[in-house]
Amino acid sequence: MFKGFKLTRKLENTLMLVFTLIFLGYISMSPDMNLESLKGVLIIGITVGIIYGLVAVGISLIYTGLDVVNFSHGEFFMLGAFTGLTVYNFLIDGELIYAIFPDAYGWVGYVIGLFFAFVVMGLFGVLIERVFLRPLTKKGGGYTVAGMGIIICGFGLSVVLLNLAYIIWNPTAHPFHADLGLPINIGGVTLPMTYLWMLVTGFTVAGALYFFLNKTKMGLGVRAVAHSKVISNLVGINVPLYISIIFGIACALAGLAGTLVGPTYQVVVYMGYIILLKAFASAVVGGFGSLPGAIVGGFTVGLFETSCAFFISGSHKDAYAFLLMIVVLLIKPTGFFGVQVKMKA
Amino acid sequence: MLKIKNLVSGYGSVQILNGANMKVENQSIVALLGGNGTGKSTILKACSGIIRTWKGSINFNGEDIQNLPPHNIVEKGLVQVTQGKDVFPAMTVLENLKLGGFTLKSKQTLNDNIEKVFNYFPRLNERKSQLAATLSGGELQMLCIGRGLMSNPKMIMLDEPSAALAPQIVLDIFKNINKIRKDGLTVLVVEQNVRMALLLADYGYVIKDGVINVEGESKKLMYDESVKDSYLGGGGTTANV
Ligand SMILES: Nc1ncnc2c1ncn2[C@@H]1O[C@H](COP(=O)(O)OP(=O)(O)OP(=O)(O)O)[C@@H](O)[C@H]1O
Ligand SMILES: [Mg+2]
Repeated sequence: MFKGFKLTRKLENTLMLVFTLIFLGYISMSPDMNLESLKGVLIIGITVGIIYGLVAVGISLIYTGLDVVNFSHGEFFMLGAFTGLTVYNFLIDGELIYAIFPDAYGWVGYVIGLFFAFVVMGLFGVLIERVFLRPLTKKGGGYTVAGMGIIICGFGLSVVLLNLAYIIWNPTAHPFHADLGLPINIGGVTLPMTYLWMLVTGFTVAGALYFFLNKTKMGLGVRAVAHSKVISNLVGINVPLYISIIFGIACALAGLAGTLVGPTYQVVVYMGYIILLKAFASAVVGGFGSLPGAIVGGFTVGLFETSCAFFISGSHKDAYAFLLMIVVLLIKPTGFFGVQVKMKA
Repeated sequence: MLKIKNLVSGYGSVQILNGANMKVENQSIVALLGGNGTGKSTILKACSGIIRTWKGSINFNGEDIQNLPPHNIVEKGLVQVTQGKDVFPAMTVLENLKLGGFTLKSKQTLNDNIEKVFNYFPRLNERKSQLAATLSGGELQMLCIGRGLMSNPKMIMLDEPSAALAPQIVLDIFKNINKIRKDGLTVLVVEQNVRMALLLADYGYVIKDGVINVEGESKKLMYDESVKDSYLGGGGTTANV
């Protein structure tokens, strides 16, 4: 903020607390404030939050693993939504699913759609990494030299993927009529089933990711490569392979999130932009490069945005995420879980 | 075990090694000595494959390994322990060791090897669930060597294992290096602590300007005039004992 002016940890936290209290005080004075709406905002905020979190985790994973901010990450989200939609329509509208399982419900098709979005985007991510990013990250002998070229490559990739999607699906919005059943009532809040799916799937996948990273050998390898390519090489990890795995997992998560969001909004080729920015804000708020931070940042942005939209004004909904990001950057530049300095071997 | 012939390598376009020749016999300890910035670490990096070999050959166990991917070199049984006590600070001691055994296929071998490392360095056993970031310098070095031993290597290359450690710890680590050799491994050790290194090693090489300048039996090197002048410090200036 000021040159040579640095806040201490304690002061940072105090300021964050003050900001939170002012914010809570402000929205509690809103005329719309009551228990009912508060419950609604909480549930919706957490639901959007876990989606932001899943995309943000991917951005952070790629950042730690490849030393690059993947600006085309939103496009994998969008392509994932289209993959899910296409698979779902193929199964349900084509009545294929009923030919195989006569008693099937809509959710069977949706689960298969989610699965395909995850797998297809994962494989597509690996392909993109191998073909487009690998020649750039390889330059300089190691895999740590990632410069401006790769950032520009990310933007270029984003434009190319967007235009490809535009040719295939045209710019109109495609409704995703997932037949998931009637809305349910949770503690007095009526929640469409699509939200419940986001909530449950989102948490399940986040839990599975935690298990994968902390309890499996491959997860240990991913964490090692994310910290240092050189030491990973020296302990015998196939680093290029793991870089592909990291990129693939990140893209798979984005694709899954796309299909989770699809039925609630609409599926349209532009949907990747705004999610990229929101997920980016989440990652920054949580602490760039930190995976738990990305999830917590997602919740924070989701809750902040939803409560502002509901209690203050819904007309600037997309700006709130950035307002929050700017405040956090000013007060606590490392984010909640930020690492001060990334150690590099 | 390891034969380096006319090794030329460097960083970017800067050539550091100008045709180095070395030989490490099976089950021996060989010391690689030399001033700062002469290319000792660079030799090790070329052997472990993290930098490219421009010219010349590196032969390990009868096979040319220059420019193989680093993980293949580890699988063949050649492991490098880096200079900076590089660990994964956000992981526990145990996780660090498990990563050292990443190339192992069987869980049983992994657990056996962890036991083996704890036998060499009991301190690590006491600290096993602690984050590596909280270890002392000596413990970090033990962890690095231990991690290097995890993959059942045939040969281990240690880069300045005594750097910035108290004499007592240095002695302990050197005793363990000797023990490691007795247990059947071959050791190449880069050292600034020349006197200690020559006491430990069977054979020594001195590198200067990217080529091997002097070589010989350690006992002879200890009395070699040029080594004495430059390292054992007639005037005691560069001595590091
Ligand atoms: N990553 C790098 N990029 C560019 N130059 C490097 C790099 N690493 C080392 N060098 C240069 O290569 C030369 C030899 O370095 P090296 O690390 O092999 O020296 P060393 O003999 O191990 O010295 P020390 O005893 O200080 O560890 C030095 O001049 C150094 O500046
Ligand atoms: Mg060195």
